[in-house]
Amino acid sequence: MDNQKLNASFTLIAVLVGFMIAIQFQTIKEPAERDTRDIWQLREALLKEKELQSNLLSEIRSNEEKLAAYESKRKQSKEQTLIDTLKELKIEAGLTEINVPGITLHIEPVIEEIKPGTPVNKVVSPELLKRLLNELNMYEAKYVAIDGQRVINTTVIRDINGVTKIDGHTINSLPIEIIVGVDGNNTAEKLYNRMKVSKSSEEFFIENLKLSVSRPNPNVTVPAYDNSIRIRYMEPEKEGGDS
Amino acid sequence: MWLPFIGLIIGIILGLLTEIRIPEEYSNYLSIAVLAAFDTLFGGIRAYLQNIYDEKVFVSGFFFNIMLAASLAFLGVHLGVDLYLAAVFAFGVRLFQNIAVIRRIILTKWSTNKEKVEKN
Repeated sequence: MDNQKLNASFTLIAVLVGFMIAIQFQTIKEPAERDTRDIWQLREALLKEKELQSNLLSEIRSNEEKLAAYESKRKQSKEQTLIDTLKELKIEAGLTEINVPGITLHIEPVIEEIKPGTPVNKVVSPELLKRLLNELNMYEAKYVAIDGQRVINTTVIRDINGVTKIDGHTINSLPIEIIVGVDGNNTAEKLYNRMKVSKSSEEFFIENLKLSVSRPNPNVTVPAYDNSIRIRYMEPEKEGGDS
Repeated sequence: MWLPFIGLIIGIILGLLTEIRIPEEYSNYLSIAVLAAFDTLFGGIRAYLQNIYDEKVFVSGFFFNIMLAASLAFLGVHLGVDLYLAAVFAFGVRLFQNIAVIRRIILTKWSTNKEKVEKN
């Protein structure tokens, strides 16, 4: 009667126990494989691993070489050349700030000439500035900024209703600072010496202005031209045109 | 009577065929669970032979012992004390006792059977 039921539960438990034993047996048996290789077999295995290592190393090296080749190709590519050219042209056109050796000129009113009751000369005439610029250019000045306004090829200095303007920038207060950058320290020195004895300072003095020249500085910062350059009489050549 | 043994063999074959392997760090738990299962199994056989067998006690004892042993081992691992040794010891002692009792009962049955045969 009850025997059948008893047998059933016993069997079920027995199956479970057997299952557990089998799993345990398998789990324990697994790492029981001992390393029974002798020294020569071990050496062989080591050799194999070393070979693998050297293969991996050579692969890494070849990949690195490839990477370097790609890098140099990229550097020599047309794109890079164009970017470099563009950068050079921008520097030449005065669209970038630049750090070069150079000198600084100061224009200020002559203190001895300030008399009580008379207005102080606050204007630098454009003619004077033009002459100064020409002189600077003669002495190989390359990057010039007057009162923080970069002078480029298309810069105009003119008198508009009695106010001196440089490309729309008004000079209405003194003193002003002129930063002049050149290409090398020697040139800066030469420029300094020439400016010290130039006629410009006498011309400025006639207009009650004093032009002082600072010692050459190995690192002056000439600001960038901050307006956009308008090109009115130049057009890009159309590629493949009938010209 | 032979059905439980057949079940045991079936279980072993099943376990070997499924190729289940538990991770190394859990084999401790399984071994102690196996021990607990054995203890319960032999306890059941003894109870059956002594005619005090209760199925509820047997089945619940099976699962409860396994779980208790496993949790004891777990606690031992986390406390840094080899607590599973306590379970091994307890189950081992009970296993021996049960088997001894079973042996004696079978021996008595056998001898009484023999006497009966001789009398007849």
